[in-house]
Amino acid sequence: MDTSCLREGKNPRIIDQIAAIIKYELLWNIRKKKFLGVLVAAFVATTLTLFLPVILSHINNVALESKPDYVITNSGLGNLMIFLFALVTIMNSISGEFESGTIITLLTKPVSRTVILVGKIIAAFITISAAYTLLYIYMVVGGIAIYGPQENLHLIPLCILGDILSTFVWASLILALGSLSKNTILTAVTSIIIFLAMLIGASIIAVFTESAWILHYLPGSGAIGYLKAESSATYTGSISTGTDNISKMIIQYVLHPSANVTYIKISRVQGGSAGIFKELYAEPLSLVLSRSLIVALMYIITLTLISWYAFKHSQVLE
Amino acid sequence: MSLAIETIDLTKRYGALVAVNKLNLRVEKRTIHGFLGPNGAGKTTTIKILVGLLKPDGGRAIVLGEEVRVDDPRARLKIGYMPELPRFPKHLKAWEILDIYGRMYGMPTQERKSRINRVLEIVGLKGRENSFIGEYSKGMQQRLGIAQALLSEPELIILDEPTLGLDPVGMVNVREIIREVMREGSTVFLSSHLLSEVEQICSHVSVIHRGVCLASGPLKNVIGKIAGSAILEIEVTEISSGILEAVKSLPFISNLQVDGNKMIIEVNADGDIRPDISQAITKSGGVIVSMNMRMRSLEEAFMQLIMKSR
Repeated sequence: MDTSCLREGKNPRIIDQIAAIIKYELLWNIRKKKFLGVLVAAFVATTLTLFLPVILSHINNVALESKPDYVITNSGLGNLMIFLFALVTIMNSISGEFESGTIITLLTKPVSRTVILVGKIIAAFITISAAYTLLYIYMVVGGIAIYGPQENLHLIPLCILGDILSTFVWASLILALGSLSKNTILTAVTSIIIFLAMLIGASIIAVFTESAWILHYLPGSGAIGYLKAESSATYTGSISTGTDNISKMIIQYVLHPSANVTYIKISRVQGGSAGIFKELYAEPLSLVLSRSLIVALMYIITLTLISWYAFKHSQVLE
Repeated sequence: MSLAIETIDLTKRYGALVAVNKLNLRVEKRTIHGFLGPNGAGKTTTIKILVGLLKPDGGRAIVLGEEVRVDDPRARLKIGYMPELPRFPKHLKAWEILDIYGRMYGMPTQERKSRINRVLEIVGLKGRENSFIGEYSKGMQQRLGIAQALLSEPELIILDEPTLGLDPVGMVNVREIIREVMREGSTVFLSSHLLSEVEQICSHVSVIHRGVCLASGPLKNVIGKIAGSAILEIEVTEISSGILEAVKSLPFISNLQVDGNKMIIEVNADGDIRPDISQAITKSGGVIVSMNMRMRSLEEAFMQLIMKSR
């Protein structure tokens, strides 16, 4: 037999071990049917976003106008896609290993659990970054081809970063659930329930109560605010201010740095079905964005530490 | 004698159940050490503690001179472990997973390649290394389990039921592999429910039951210690009470049963005692028709030990 490096007493480098785990995880991610399914769905959704105005203009017999802000206005993957990418990429990253028994061979190699977890998180980051980059490239190329030259395309990398950050809020929650429960179905069901509860609950709280501020500190779509330029008296549009919409907030902040966000409550008129709007409070977009960034990072750090602790101290009973 | 594995009062509980109960185990280096016990005896739990998958509730486990702890990668550098029914990610190919494991051991590219080729050849998976593991049969996964355990040329190889799921040819191959790695200087510690297999390849054996080590040491010593060294079957023309008395009075006879004209005698002695017995029977007027001596099998010894402990 050959003389191995181990018999000579050498120690493996941590960087090589992390690279090994990344390869292990990346090969899994890109061959996962669920992941490929969500990626295809995202491309279909992007295609619809690009072509729907074209189809409508044909139906209405109206010439399609060039829209230089089309891509940047439609950037941001949206709550559902962000959640689905997080779910399919990471839901069985830890729990699946325990369920299938593959964790036994992995944990008996000379690699620390911290290195395994770090490698898995980096692999998830690479997978999601690559998927989002492809989607945005498709969006930009399609946008230019259909709607003519586009403005502010230099902001696209920021959009990708924002969407990755939003995805990692959910990814770290799902990873923590998987590390604690070691059960993929339980992890998936619980995270879907949390996602839907946040989505539906946030809308109800934001629109019908005066407690929108709670949503600033929860993951998900957050409170809906209305954008108003500092000098303007009218709203220019609405924006979700939660951790799911960081990319949209970044774009708005770069384009309108002095804009304010006003939160509104809808009340029903006594005896009628019509609603009346009540302005609750307003705050600078810069504050909204920085708070969302901090909240997202706090969730990512805290939940990743929980995952690390649970994984580090887990025993392989089965 | 330096030890590859030593456990001192090792204890592991699952709630009220004591799976491993103050286990004291000593595995000498450069031996093939069998780890025997009925289902639920605590074999796999002990092995999982030795490879750092489980944390003991009490006692110590020392492997290759290092105290075993959960999540201690350094301790696992010199250990190759194959779990019972090993499982690998189905979406990976055999070459890919072995390459990844090789990187984890810090093996340089060229060494990794040649070593992967070598272990694939040893376990008979050469030519199938680019198939997805999901397409492998249980037997092939078992072979891959052995391949990954041998990959780093470990000083200590721990195999949990290594021939489970293999066909007879595969079982013979695995035995050959185990003998080969021992010849190359590794220590092999294997658990098996196939007593005949342990008897064929192990030089040493430990018997565990209800988490307690009942016997441990060189195979022949353990068998002899447990159930006498041999069984003698003597057929005479006619059995008389005089013959029986004469045989019973011999100091090395531990048990005597009569079956027609045949005496089945359990003998507890190291040397050849056949001349002494022959003389005693002849002096009592008996005529010996046949005399067969056979060693107790490990299976008989094992069953006797387990029955005694119940």
